[in-house]
Amino acid sequence: MESSRFSVFARYVLAIAIVLMFVFPIAWFALTSIKPISAIFDKDGVVVFDFVPTYENYQVTLFGQQSIDVSENSRSDFGTSGGNSYDGRSSIVSSLIVAIGSTFLATTIGLLAAYGLSRLQFRGSQGMLHWILSQRFLPPIAIIIPMVFIFRDLGLRDTHLGLIIAHTLINVPIAVLLLKSFIDDIPRDIDEAAMIDGATRLQVFWKVIMPMAKGGMAATAVLCFIFSWTEFLLSLFLTNSIRTIPVKITTFVTSTGSEWGYISALGTSAIIPGFIFILLVQNHLVRGLTMGAIKD
Amino acid sequence: MAEAQINHQDGRGGRKLLALPQWLTSEHPLPWLFPATAMLIIFGIYPVLYSLWLSFFKRNPATRVEKFDPSWNWSKLIADDRVWDAVVVTLTYTSVALIIQLVLGMLIALLLDSDRRGFGVLRALMTLPLVVPPAVTGMMFLLMYDGSFGVISHVLYDLGILSPNAPLLANGSTALLSVIIVDVWQWTPFMVLIMLAGLRALPKDPFEAAAIDGATDVQAFFRLTLPMMSKIIALAVLIRGIDLFRIYDYVKVMTDSGPGTATETLTAYTGTVYFKSADFPYASTVAIFTLLTVLVVANVFIKIFRVRF
Repeated sequence: MESSRFSVFARYVLAIAIVLMFVFPIAWFALTSIKPISAIFDKDGVVVFDFVPTYENYQVTLFGQQSIDVSENSRSDFGTSGGNSYDGRSSIVSSLIVAIGSTFLATTIGLLAAYGLSRLQFRGSQGMLHWILSQRFLPPIAIIIPMVFIFRDLGLRDTHLGLIIAHTLINVPIAVLLLKSFIDDIPRDIDEAAMIDGATRLQVFWKVIMPMAKGGMAATAVLCFIFSWTEFLLSLFLTNSIRTIPVKITTFVTSTGSEWGYISALGTSAIIPGFIFILLVQNHLVRGLTMGAIKD
Repeated sequence: MAEAQINHQDGRGGRKLLALPQWLTSEHPLPWLFPATAMLIIFGIYPVLYSLWLSFFKRNPATRVEKFDPSWNWSKLIADDRVWDAVVVTLTYTSVALIIQLVLGMLIALLLDSDRRGFGVLRALMTLPLVVPPAVTGMMFLLMYDGSFGVISHVLYDLGILSPNAPLLANGSTALLSVIIVDVWQWTPFMVLIMLAGLRALPKDPFEAAAIDGATDVQAFFRLTLPMMSKIIALAVLIRGIDLFRIYDYVKVMTDSGPGTATETLTAYTGTVYFKSADFPYASTVAIFTLLTVLVVANVFIKIFRVRF
């Protein structure tokens, strides 16, 4: 196909150009986060590199420093006397609690169900699989309104636990299907050999399946974490004072103007964990995104 | 669950230290599946039924009293032009974004499917948009679309495509397309990854035979690659299509359904009814209607293309 040197070169150029187009918005956002306000809102055009970098946006959003400089543009003068409404620290903590909690729950519940569906033959197991799959496609909007009422009655509204449950609910179908595909890859002979030696299923699960499915569990956990970390709709409806990062960041857009410096600083920080995680699970990414339907 | 049975393939009894009933032991599927099933029933099925139940009540906005009146909301829905506008917007959004993502995803996958040095890095970089929280993605593009200091707007001004008097998101005719472009940016990498996996799994022999017979690359693509990848393509379209259909984040963050209702999807309209008029029964009705539409479209698709998981 690419016999001539020219076509190889052209392919490189085209591939790099396209990838750069997909990376550009992130790079631009990160660049904006270290721009001073004067460089973000320049009336004469777009400032690309011609500015003095500042870390003020990070100091305000990640370290809780008062946003004094903003007041010279009288942009954040909406009666938040004293408090720093751009302090993202509590939202980072909330996001972490919810993401870690729901990842742990979804992976645990998913692993149990995946083992049952993979190894125990029972009537209706195929139907059950389809039902779990169909739950993956349930639009969150269809359950969110009653969920608000149910959570209010249970005292779960606006709590970390409530949001953990909501995210777990969305993650469980993905976790079950993905982990099932990984457990299916482990030869049954291994379980059976262990059971002939007198091990119970629980022992097989604990001592044989879990160690062998470690890679799959890690990939599942990463995907669950990323989902919870990036989720917006459920967090928006189910919480008021607890704000995960995606919801918190939208509050920086106000009718008097958007604080692009703070938005880009907190936004860039929110992207970084996902980058690290996704690079760790590159090998299982396709399988994860298709819930085990395509094995890599 | 009660009639569920396990096949005792080996008939092994095992030592019985504890006389637990059979369905409580690890030999029975119940303990394994109970947590997941309970979770999905309590927080998945029950809320859907609750939503359906709510849709049978008429809410009096003045007194806030809800009265049982099964047909009220559903006849309101059928007569509600905004619902049908939202259906059109949702279907336009879904189909346009899906087609662009599918074609672009396939082309980029073909381009990146190489073992030469550096292509592995390019493929990894290509996955990065997938982990950006959609609300943040919306912000990223909101910044670039801005009429006075947005980099995309300025490039378009310089090219003479866009007039500074008609900002991208404030204009009914460009707002929907601008939101679709955001979706394309974030989710084309999903298609690229799946297509790459499909391309890598293709057998080599048919392509060598075709090359010997003098087939061009384009012929080989349409006669061999596409048919052999049809299953994978159908799967990708199904997953992406359903996710597109329930789009909420970009619309909420970027345009809040505006200008007017130009970008109001079904999910966004449900949110609007919920937040702005607090008519929970009617919001539930729109939500259940969205769910039914997804179910019908997805199942028709699964039947036609015989998608298997």
